[in-house]
Amino acid sequence: MSAFWYYVFTLVFFLFDYFILAMGLNIQYGETGILNFAYIAFVAIGAYVTGAASLPNAAGTGQQYIMGWGLPFPFNLLLGGLVASAVAVLVAFIVLRRLRTDYLAMVLVSLSLVLYDVINNYVPLFNGADGLYNVPQPMAGIFHLTTNSFIPFFAVVTGLIALLMWFFMSRIMKSPLGRTFRAIRDDDGVAGALGKNPFGYKLTSMIIGAFYAGVGGGLIIQFGGSFNPTAWLPGETFVVFAVIIVGGVGNNVGMLVGALVVETLLIHLPAFLPEIPGHPGLIEYIDTMVVGALLMVMLWFRPQGVVPERVRKSAGMLADRARGRGRELTTATEGQGKSGE
Amino acid sequence: MSDNVTPTTGAPAYALQCQDLKKAFQGVLAVAGATFDVPQGQITALIGPNGAGKTTIVNLLSGMMQSDSGRMQLVGTDVTNWPSHKIARRGLMRSFQLSRELGGLTVLENLLVAPKHQAGESLFNIFFRPLAVRREERENVERALETLKTYGLYDLRDNRARELSGGQKKLLEIARAVMAQPRVLLLDEPMAGVNPALIDRIGGYILDLKASGVTVLMVEHNLNVVEKICDHVIVLAEGRTLATGKLSDLRANQDVVQAYLGEVINASTHG
Ligand SMILES: Nc1ncnc2c1ncn2[C@@H]1O[C@H](COP(=O)(O)OP(=O)(O)OP(=O)(O)O)[C@@H](O)[C@H]1O
Ligand SMILES: [Mg+2]
Repeated sequence: MSAFWYYVFTLVFFLFDYFILAMGLNIQYGETGILNFAYIAFVAIGAYVTGAASLPNAAGTGQQYIMGWGLPFPFNLLLGGLVASAVAVLVAFIVLRRLRTDYLAMVLVSLSLVLYDVINNYVPLFNGADGLYNVPQPMAGIFHLTTNSFIPFFAVVTGLIALLMWFFMSRIMKSPLGRTFRAIRDDDGVAGALGKNPFGYKLTSMIIGAFYAGVGGGLIIQFGGSFNPTAWLPGETFVVFAVIIVGGVGNNVGMLVGALVVETLLIHLPAFLPEIPGHPGLIEYIDTMVVGALLMVMLWFRPQGVVPERVRKSAGMLADRARGRGRELTTATEGQGKSGE
Repeated sequence: MSDNVTPTTGAPAYALQCQDLKKAFQGVLAVAGATFDVPQGQITALIGPNGAGKTTIVNLLSGMMQSDSGRMQLVGTDVTNWPSHKIARRGLMRSFQLSRELGGLTVLENLLVAPKHQAGESLFNIFFRPLAVRREERENVERALETLKTYGLYDLRDNRARELSGGQKKLLEIARAVMAQPRVLLLDEPMAGVNPALIDRIGGYILDLKASGVTVLMVEHNLNVVEKICDHVIVLAEGRTLATGKLSDLRANQDVVQAYLGEVINASTHG
């Protein structure tokens, strides 16, 4: 495979992966209004757990980590998502019951810094600052994949997973649950006065979002085979925020657009550009500045994003109703047939 | 309006009972020992000068604020310091003096949020009982559209709620509360800033709600409205219940006239 296709499929992978990450943050922030400035920590937890669960027992690998069960894909990925969700429950009980908006955001940033330091320094957990490496390539044995063919293969697998997760997420967002999330986003006091327990729903939203974060992180470590603290500097959270703000908070198509513009075109594409002679790493810095500038321009001129949240029209609900009724009519006639009419 | 308290056997005669409620804000005693009962199935007015603590009482009763001391009962159940969502699930709904619409949601969606215990609010049901979710949702949409027709908001159903006018928001708040099928409805100045024709309409809605068995407690400054639709009046001054009874009786009460009615009567005769 030529270097060109290698690059293309790497970009495709990151497009789909950030689509998943953006959907997870969107349900928390875009739908429920939780300013989760610790989002990247959940991505990291998913990555580490996915990696550590699929690695063999740590003895003799030269690394230190917990688990080491040799758990095959996709079970390790699922575990990564679930552990991220479990941590979200813990975090929610600590911070979500009392704090809101800006105070909540500050506490979450601090929490993510604390977690960063712990994982970076407590080596027995996930090998400290060195992070995990030599993580086995998923399904490589089954499909006889080589180092080259693995990249396009896994980009496609990630695309399929993203599609599945998109399906689940749009079901949630269209449901009464999604509507209650948005009610809490708009005014959690009113939602409470209407009988909705704001904490309970925020907890649910955190769990769902953290699962998406964890799976997105797990896919990253499976794709690259390694993951360490440089991959999740706390500032990375803001890249995911940039994705959802540029794309348009509150809808999934926007998430895909945001992932394409911010993550694929601005963050990863320039990484393939030749270095500016004499200034190693300069492109990366310019990159970060461009993302920051884009974020400001968007917030100033188009805060609703490229694809704004759409109004859920009653006609759409009525169409759903008609479809539902059609189905019910058939079941009703079936029922009648059975009862011998 | 005649005094027609006829408690059905077994059911408590009072929808709400408050004993010695107190609430202070950084030293300001907003509610300073309010004691009153709200008879079931009637329309009760909560009146008093600005700053008397009326809104604070509504906040306490709806669980949006916690009282410093005192007790409150909702249809016989002690709900002192319950969180607002639990009180709401017991059948108490409220509106807000300054409208608090769910701005990003459409008018229809504002109503659809209100029904309690929706099947589609559980992740499990969304994926494993989709038909039950859809059936219930369809019923709710139908009922919400009917309610919007009743309140004259049907044509605005697809507008984002933040785009409504002040008066329309007042209507939306009542419609949303009604959508939750409350037993007790607290209305905080439902007619403030509303034109006279709409005042009459809202008055009619409130009477209809009473006819359907809902207990209403409304904060209201307009005594003509109180006279016309309220069965019972609670006068609040400086956080205390000054008097309770029928408006006609209260007009004869010297304290009440001094504390509140005097101002209003004078204002309405001279202004
Ligand atoms: N959140 C709050 N923080 C501090 N003080 C408050 C708060 N809410 C109310 N107060 C104070 O409590 C007192 C009672 O206020 P409240 O809003 O209950 O009056 P009200 O009877 O509803 O008046 P109005 O007729 O003007 O609406 C006022 O002195 C007010 O300044
Ligand atoms: Mg008030």
